[in-house]
Amino acid sequence: MRSQTTGWLLLAPTLVILLVFGLGPFIYVLVVGFTNWNSFAADPTAHFAGVQNFRRLVFDDPFLHSLWLTFGFTFFAVLSEIVLGYFLAQLLMRDLPFKGFFRTIHTLPLMVAPIAVGATWRLLTVPGLGPLPYYLDRWLGIDLRIGTFADQAFIATVIMDVWHWTPLVTLTLLAAISSLPKEPFEQAQIDGANRAQVFWYVTLPLLKPAILATVFIRVMDALRTVDEVWMLTGGGPAAATRYVGLHIWRVVFPKTDYGYGAAMSLLTLYVTIVLCWLMYVALVARRELPRSE
Amino acid sequence: MKLRTTVSAVALAIGLMSSAMPAWADFWSDAAKDLKGTTIRGVTESTPPSNYVKDVLAPAFTKATGIKVEFETTSWDQMFDKEIKDMEAKTGLYDVVYIEQDIIYSYLARGFLVDLTKSMADNAKLKAPEFDPANFTTFIDYFKDPTKGNDLFAVPMESFIKTYLYRKDLFGDAEVQKAFKAKYGYDLAPPKDHKQYTDIAEFFTQWGKSHDMQLWGSTVQAHTGHPASWYEFVESVEPTFGVYNWGINAQKNYAASVKNGGSMNGPQAVAALTWFLNNLKYAPPESTQSTWDEIAATFAAGRAAQGLVYGENAAWIATNDSKSKVVGKVGVALPPLEPGVLEDAESGKGYIGYFDGGAFAIPTSSKNKEAALLFLEFIGQPSVQADWAVAGSRITLKSTYDDPKVKAQDEKTDHYYTLMKEKGKLFAGAPTYPFHAQVREAVAPIFYRAITGELTPQQALDKMADAAEAELTQLGYRK
Repeated sequence: MRSQTTGWLLLAPTLVILLVFGLGPFIYVLVVGFTNWNSFAADPTAHFAGVQNFRRLVFDDPFLHSLWLTFGFTFFAVLSEIVLGYFLAQLLMRDLPFKGFFRTIHTLPLMVAPIAVGATWRLLTVPGLGPLPYYLDRWLGIDLRIGTFADQAFIATVIMDVWHWTPLVTLTLLAAISSLPKEPFEQAQIDGANRAQVFWYVTLPLLKPAILATVFIRVMDALRTVDEVWMLTGGGPAAATRYVGLHIWRVVFPKTDYGYGAAMSLLTLYVTIVLCWLMYVALVARRELPRSE
Repeated sequence: MKLRTTVSAVALAIGLMSSAMPAWADFWSDAAKDLKGTTIRGVTESTPPSNYVKDVLAPAFTKATGIKVEFETTSWDQMFDKEIKDMEAKTGLYDVVYIEQDIIYSYLARGFLVDLTKSMADNAKLKAPEFDPANFTTFIDYFKDPTKGNDLFAVPMESFIKTYLYRKDLFGDAEVQKAFKAKYGYDLAPPKDHKQYTDIAEFFTQWGKSHDMQLWGSTVQAHTGHPASWYEFVESVEPTFGVYNWGINAQKNYAASVKNGGSMNGPQAVAALTWFLNNLKYAPPESTQSTWDEIAATFAAGRAAQGLVYGENAAWIATNDSKSKVVGKVGVALPPLEPGVLEDAESGKGYIGYFDGGAFAIPTSSKNKEAALLFLEFIGQPSVQADWAVAGSRITLKSTYDDPKVKAQDEKTDHYYTLMKEKGKLFAGAPTYPFHAQVREAVAPIFYRAITGELTPQQALDKMADAAEAELTQLGYRK
């Protein structure tokens, strides 16, 4: 009995924080999502609107476009980060000169605030000032203008995200690789497996929990990207990089359409949960389910 | 002896009078006697005039009153985001907020701001003798509420015109003049109309290429993801084609489309957008990533021969050689106009460009209203205006124009201040709409698609007019 009370007491601060800063705002957003509320409307008060906001969302082309765009961004960014992060982690497992120095340098982007990352990449890519357009033009004849060309802007946001977050993947996988047992690898060598077979049948299955955890973290982060992209492109050119987080931000804050913005947030949260669940089922649960006889 | 006695008596009388009269500085320390140690917090956009407030006027106010001032200078978007959140939630974080004259009507409609006229009347001991709303230019009228007896709700801290800037050195070069006349058949001079502007833009772009110079014909504020581009179009370009108030007709149930009585997608608007987009051919490559700040930087870097530039930047571009490569080479003139627009402006039917500016106000949620009121009066005194005008090319008081420091700066800026004084009446601020940001957010994304070429000018303007009307209906303004 005493141990139960102590347990609850120790948990209490965390539970309070969770309720106040997690559940409270969520319930508020949930309630606002069912209202028609724009503080600069002719009538600035909130009115219950039923499911009207959610019905509107289904036919809202800019919102749906931003959602699909975000999926694309997430796919390319996270896939690149995982692949690149894995190879860098393997590289850092080897005895290379200046390994410690490189590991430190490589981790630095993680310490930079997203808004500063966006500002840095903006300076790098502004024609007439940034080095990237200058050297790409000089060496490869590429006319880099992310304010004009939609595909360039999209790629730039993906590369910026990869630059910022690959170190996280590297560090996670480095820790996972360091803790792998040696026996399965020795056994595979004795059995005559080549490097590709070792990777596919031994390394990858053993690393799967770490990779999945990293993928989930990065997918959830990438789906709510705002500040970096806002600083780099402002969502442009036109809506080429107006990812869903940025789209919601513009609807909620500059446009002060709180009710509709809350509905968008809720739908995005729902989509994120469904997406993660589908990934979980596809990659983990499916193989763990008992096979029907 | 008699003379000596008289002189002594006069000297004594002057001495007695001056010791009996309160010194100028005494008002501030007396008025702030009970407020010493208070800290007031403000938020404003990071611009030359605002930075002057933060760096010079705020410390001077603290010295005079003992009231500390903490000013946050941030980006335009962030500033509005922060202050609206603060006033909406009534957190009382800010005691002074920056208000552009285009958003004050939204704030007044929400009752966000303290009535300064009433506050000064209710607190006679806080009324600074040197502060008088009658000293201000007519720009102060934008910050009065006609529904409340024209009471004042904010103290103007900057006002300037968005005007035409050009490279005087290039325009005055004999070789350039000769080549221009040979190609276009008339003398090179600041353009009177849009055709001439385009000729000049085309000429200097070619001149830059043929002379291996980083020079283009025009600045264009054409960011494809920031509302600055939309602002340039509706505030500075459309009026020169005779389209006013964003093309929304408040008298016709806030109609935007021509079919409903608006002019957002009318022939003048199409001509304006076509001209604006065509200028991109003669603009530096950074233009589609340029907001108002980058436009000034582009001009200061000597990368454009002409352009429409916010006046708050005119002084530093023309005089500050640590930031500008075109010091002493800047000319100012009125923007190019279509026939009839100047007449419209002179008769009060229209305007030729944007009279921009802002003011400081006190949110009703402020916890230090008295200290904030003193601060607003402090920055509204005639004695602090001249240096501020020189630093930020802004003028809010009539007397500032005649100050010797401003006159000297006027010479260095090709008489920008004189232009503002004499022709400022031809420019206008934003229309008195309470739905400013809401309509902007609804139509700007469509406007960006016109810049990228995804939509033709007519398609874009048709969609913008429809989107504006739908938004106004949704907001309840359009019945």
